[in-house]
Amino acid sequence: MASEAIQTGFSLEGKGALVIGAEHPVGRAAAVTLAEAGAKLLLASREPGTDAQLKETAKAVQAAGGKPIVQAQNAAIRADLSATADLAAKEFGRLDILVNALDAPWYGAADIADDSAFDRVMENNFKTVWMSCQEGGRVMLRQGGGAIVNITSILAQRGVPNASLYCAAKAAVLNLTRALAIEWARRGIRVNAIETGWLDEPASPANSGEEFKKNLLKYLPENRLVAPADLSGALLYLVSPAAGFVTGESIIVDGALMCRV
Amino acid sequence: MILDALKLDGKVAIITGAGRGLGRAMAVKFAEAGADIVAASRTQAQLDETAELVRKTGRKCLIVPTDVTDSAAVNAMAAAAIKELGKIDILINNAGGGDDTAGKSIEAITDEQWRRGLDTNLTSQFYAARAVIPAMVKQKRGKIVNLASGYGLRGGKHNYMYACSKGGVIQLTRSLALTYALDNIQTNCIVPGIFPHNEEMMKFFKGGKFIPIGRPGDDSEIGPLAIFLSSDASNHINGELIAIDGGGLAGGILPTGAVPNLPS
Repeated sequence: MASEAIQTGFSLEGKGALVIGAEHPVGRAAAVTLAEAGAKLLLASREPGTDAQLKETAKAVQAAGGKPIVQAQNAAIRADLSATADLAAKEFGRLDILVNALDAPWYGAADIADDSAFDRVMENNFKTVWMSCQEGGRVMLRQGGGAIVNITSILAQRGVPNASLYCAAKAAVLNLTRALAIEWARRGIRVNAIETGWLDEPASPANSGEEFKKNLLKYLPENRLVAPADLSGALLYLVSPAAGFVTGESIIVDGALMCRV
Repeated sequence: MILDALKLDGKVAIITGAGRGLGRAMAVKFAEAGADIVAASRTQAQLDETAELVRKTGRKCLIVPTDVTDSAAVNAMAAAAIKELGKIDILINNAGGGDDTAGKSIEAITDEQWRRGLDTNLTSQFYAARAVIPAMVKQKRGKIVNLASGYGLRGGKHNYMYACSKGGVIQLTRSLALTYALDNIQTNCIVPGIFPHNEEMMKFFKGGKFIPIGRPGDDSEIGPLAIFLSSDASNHINGELIAIDGGGLAGGILPTGAVPNLPS
């Protein structure tokens, strides 16, 4: 069929991919997308003690035709990230694709947040991404190329009340993405981001209360939250050979919310 | 299955400026992805050549010679698409380009030149969107992809028309996206960086050595992005602009290669 031809530019057949934060619904959707497109997968956790959720992701990847390797790890520990990146390179021969689905929602009033909140939010949402880019990037630089996608939020570009640290951490991820893209542009590594709107997943603030959710939905142009699977197309495009000229870019998946605010 | 979501089988796509260059390349890519094509531009002979390439893929190609700055002609284009192919699923607003006011001092640009440029680059996209929206609203489904430029986001010295019209395209995109969000019509914008269409332009852009990634774009690289934005793989992406520019906007074109890197 004629339309098969278009898939060739998007196929990830034979590519080695590492998803960090694979126990999270967003990481799970990312892993399934990459598997459907033909990539070989290493699924790594953001935090330890999430074996059951990781296993669920592995099952979903298997259902999509993949044979994933699973690595329980702590993304806040550099040695873990380093070992995981090396493991991917060893198992697949190359680390072609790195997806950082590293997210830990936080909300609280700025005037009463203590220093431990700062450290925790910045570590979970930003430092982990920085270290993962460094460790994955190190492997990619050695092999002469790769594609990294950092998943962040539209709160990288807008403020909301009672999420100051989260907004700052998400902005840090967005501009880290641009800076690394420029630094590594001529060394074959493309670095891009996806900014999500209000996510529909259990840990999301969108699901923090019925009244809040009702009002939120009214305010969203398409009257619906972003499902993790809504990110699939943007992710596949960014990591695929079809996006060979795209780097330092962020694709917003929010159903037109950023057009309004 | 994500790869299936990228297929355009059975879709009807109007592509303006389809007589040459990028428009023609997209027409062929869209046909390969399974879409029937409505090819619009001013010159019949060029459209004939595009149609031949499209038909080779096994898809239909309706030729509609159209001056996109003439709203009656644009309305007729949409009507012809519906009459001949039954519907309009996708509009690619590609027609437009630079003109000879670029590089001229502001006093040397005539009223007529200014109006003509905005008509060609911005008003044409408004006319085409206006012409296809009723059909898309009725079927509760549609994709509009507008071609803008990095100059829609940055200023250009002695470059008024191009920067203003492309900035307008970005705002047209956002307003359409918001307005028709609940009608399941997604409007997005492609922001190409440097894409030299011939040897002369390649020389002018010095082979793209100032672009962070170290090379300019190739026309064939726009097609996959346009297909992604026309497909079900982008159904929750609306009002977004996607830069395909080798890092140009992320880093700023000038610093790379033109000034020394910070010490490492």
